[in-house]
Amino acid sequence: MRNVGIIGIGYTPVFVSKRKDVSIVEMISEAVDAGLKNTGLAPEDIDAYVFGNMATFEGVNMPHLWATEHMHARGKPIMRFATGGTIGMAAFHGAYYHVASGMADIAMAVTYEKHSEGDAQVGLMGIITPELMAMLSAGIDVTGQSGMGAIGGGSAGGISFQASSYLHRSGAGIEHIDAIAAMERRNAAKNPYAHLKDPEATAEKIAQTPMVSWPIRFGHICPTTDGATVCILASEEKAAKIADKVAWVLGVANCASDATTANLIDSQITDPAEQLPAIMASKKACERAGIEDPKKEIDYVEIYNGFAHQTLMYLEKVGMCEVGEAHKLLEAGELEMNGRCPVNASGGVVSTNSIGTSALNRVTECALQIMGQAGEHQVEKEVHKAMAHGWGGLMQYCTITILGDKPKKL
Amino acid sequence: MEEIKDTFLHPVVPLDFQNNYRVGAYLQRYLDGFKEKKILGAKCSQCGRVVVPPRKYCGACNLVMEEFTELPQEGTLENFTVGHVNLEKGQWKRADAPYVIGMVRLDGAANAMLARLNVSPADARAGMKVKAVWKDQVEGEHADLDCFEPA
Ligand SMILES: [Zn+2]
Repeated sequence: MRNVGIIGIGYTPVFVSKRKDVSIVEMISEAVDAGLKNTGLAPEDIDAYVFGNMATFEGVNMPHLWATEHMHARGKPIMRFATGGTIGMAAFHGAYYHVASGMADIAMAVTYEKHSEGDAQVGLMGIITPELMAMLSAGIDVTGQSGMGAIGGGSAGGISFQASSYLHRSGAGIEHIDAIAAMERRNAAKNPYAHLKDPEATAEKIAQTPMVSWPIRFGHICPTTDGATVCILASEEKAAKIADKVAWVLGVANCASDATTANLIDSQITDPAEQLPAIMASKKACERAGIEDPKKEIDYVEIYNGFAHQTLMYLEKVGMCEVGEAHKLLEAGELEMNGRCPVNASGGVVSTNSIGTSALNRVTECALQIMGQAGEHQVEKEVHKAMAHGWGGLMQYCTITILGDKPKKL
Repeated sequence: MEEIKDTFLHPVVPLDFQNNYRVGAYLQRYLDGFKEKKILGAKCSQCGRVVVPPRKYCGACNLVMEEFTELPQEGTLENFTVGHVNLEKGQWKRADAPYVIGMVRLDGAANAMLARLNVSPADARAGMKVKAVWKDQVEGEHADLDCFEPA
């Protein structure tokens, strides 16, 4: 294994509800070309591509092949990931493995979602279809009305059980979910690549939004976004020649548990807020990064939060605070951009969710904070080490990436 | 800037079909138990935990679970949400009244199962004790176990 660094990032110019002016592959090409421009690389410099998108959301089953020429990948190795919400980070890990193993010197992770051209709820049912047996084994009557009500809400329906368990176990209230959602929409207003921006967002305003699936309100839920993101990774040797600023990959990990709406304690399905995969992936990634206590050593975190309670819940799971402490940090202002434990200065997934990109954007946003290039949403404290978290598949798959401003001592 | 036209491709795909997933040996045994209003779980011979509905493997021990055991019909509501619509043949239908769905952990079970609760949304509490309610006529189907109500 050799050191690998992020040397460049490319976003589409905007992340919005509907990109009416471009096709799917034209949109992808915008991010690819932005990534090349930002690094000064030519298409022939990219040795391998790792692509990420969820087929069922747009109904395009082989988008990586449709986009081959649009990402300048003709005649190059291409690999494609489709792991639900975690796609972007799975693709990033794939690109990392390419370079760390020596199979490529420079690899590009390419991710997108163009939600406006499909139906994410139909797609989410399509994700459930192959998991139908697992749903049955969780005791859902899939043919009866109540069972279909439970799973028919797509992600928001399924996630309400998790949010309910989180509130029950942490001592937090719905008002804390309102407050974290408001903080992130305010942060999003400072990020040119965010979708839902509200510089005036308050917990009170979020609390006025309708209850969708108790305890989840409309204001707690991510939008469906059109957008694409790429990330370019290089070996230490190549990075030294190409890039002025590098965010080094210190550790990556992923972990899965039972395939159900629920989650597990000691591998038995009980509590969807337990999220053992997040706990285990974080431990493994920290171990690989040489981090003993993330609370003390990690300066910045990006959490995958399709639903606002997840920012608080996952901060506890990945080890950034004790269980039941995240909502107290929120109350004390510590999670803000000028706080001691800044999280999702980007606005998080709850503000922008082009799903294929979303877990990769957690990584690229950590990289921007380390490189000092986040612009208006650069956090106040110096960021030497940052942790990116990805969630999604159904409820039980998490990814972690830890970045630093210096390469690892090998 | 050129005007953006709403020109779309609308591919037609034959989506009006039904998949046929077999329930398999473990769920069949569980559903057969419904004919006698019994809830069966699978017990791991190594760690002793009981999982309901039964399934083949204990994930913790990586062992095939071969013992079936009957569980009590009472348990705890672990969490819940409130439903306002039903889905009937792919179409949303507004429910007559808001209803509670949640995850119930039967006493002695290591896991929770998703179920409908016969309790008003205002009275639902995570941690409350509940018991199974069966349909009068049982057929060996998932729908036989109608709901759970406060114990
Ligand atoms: Zn066992």
